[in-house]
Amino acid sequence: MSAQAFTFTAARSPLLFAGHMTEDTQLLAAALRRRDPDVLDRLIEQYQQRLYRYLLFLTGNAALAEDLFQETWVRVLERGHQYNAKNKFESWLFTIARNLVIDVSRRKKIASLEDMGAPDSEQSYDPPDHRSLSALQMLVVRENEKAVQLSLLKIAPYYREVLLLRFHEELPLEEIASVLAAPISTVKSRLYRGLEALKSALPAGAV
Amino acid sequence: MSENLHTRAQKLLSGAMVEGISAADQIWLDMHLAECTDCARDAEVTRELLGALRSIPVDVPLDLAARTQLRVRLRAQQAEKDSSSSALLWIITAASWLLGIFSAPLVWRVFTWIGQRTNLPKPVLELGFVLWWAVPALIAVAVVLHQRAASSRA
Repeated sequence: MSAQAFTFTAARSPLLFAGHMTEDTQLLAAALRRRDPDVLDRLIEQYQQRLYRYLLFLTGNAALAEDLFQETWVRVLERGHQYNAKNKFESWLFTIARNLVIDVSRRKKIASLEDMGAPDSEQSYDPPDHRSLSALQMLVVRENEKAVQLSLLKIAPYYREVLLLRFHEELPLEEIASVLAAPISTVKSRLYRGLEALKSALPAGAV
Repeated sequence: MSENLHTRAQKLLSGAMVEGISAADQIWLDMHLAECTDCARDAEVTRELLGALRSIPVDVPLDLAARTQLRVRLRAQQAEKDSSSSALLWIITAASWLLGIFSAPLVWRVFTWIGQRTNLPKPVLELGFVLWWAVPALIAVAVVLHQRAASSRA
């Protein structure tokens, strides 16, 4: 099916509802098996914000996040035939991205994501301005976000990862377990400990 | 108020954020938070923390999607090219294999004739016969491995 056909059935497009309906994910799986470039173009646009954000917070490095973003989509192209329509596309996408981050950490002679240390503070990114808010609101919001962002980068990557998937991407626990290839009990445990770690990492008076 | 109550409240607060809690636990928590200012403050901090976490903005580089789309399309074209050349290679291999099977008796006759003319021992002739078939296959394997290494580097 071409991208035009997907547009034609926009109400049930797998590009709009990827992962929410089995029939749609089946259409998406078929398109991925065919390596349909138009479908991939639309998926890249649809998921660019979420995937880049995930990679940026996981690595703490904007340049590396860009590289891994591109590499993730190349893997989606090459391994599209492995996508199982029973699963949500975004879970599969985040799994690929996560495995790439682990590959990078291994190349840096780090055994796993669990061992990846806090990123270099010089490489962390600055949040953009909020031009729609008043100056005072902007100051407060920016300070809070900056504090949370810095605290997030201070905590262990395996806590940061589950916190992002749960509270930023709003994935259900089962899907996070699928992305991490870990039991739900491990996910819950990391979420509880991650929340505590994040609170402890916050500077006094922040938030 | 006992420390156990505060500990329970803390656990329920985290539980509500992480996996949800029962209606009864929620009622108990609400009542506790109405009475306990420390726990209420902690609940507020946690809520604000998660709110800030959810709203941290990230600016995706403007051309990142376009660059990625281009790279993916180029890779797709390369893969298609590799796939068609791989299909051609399989066809050639199959044809060569069939030709080899049907021409084997004739080739062996040629080797026997050479042996008679040159008085070479039979093991040498047999080795030559094996190499006659094996060397082209080994060259083909080397070419395929080289191509794969080159495409993975690209």
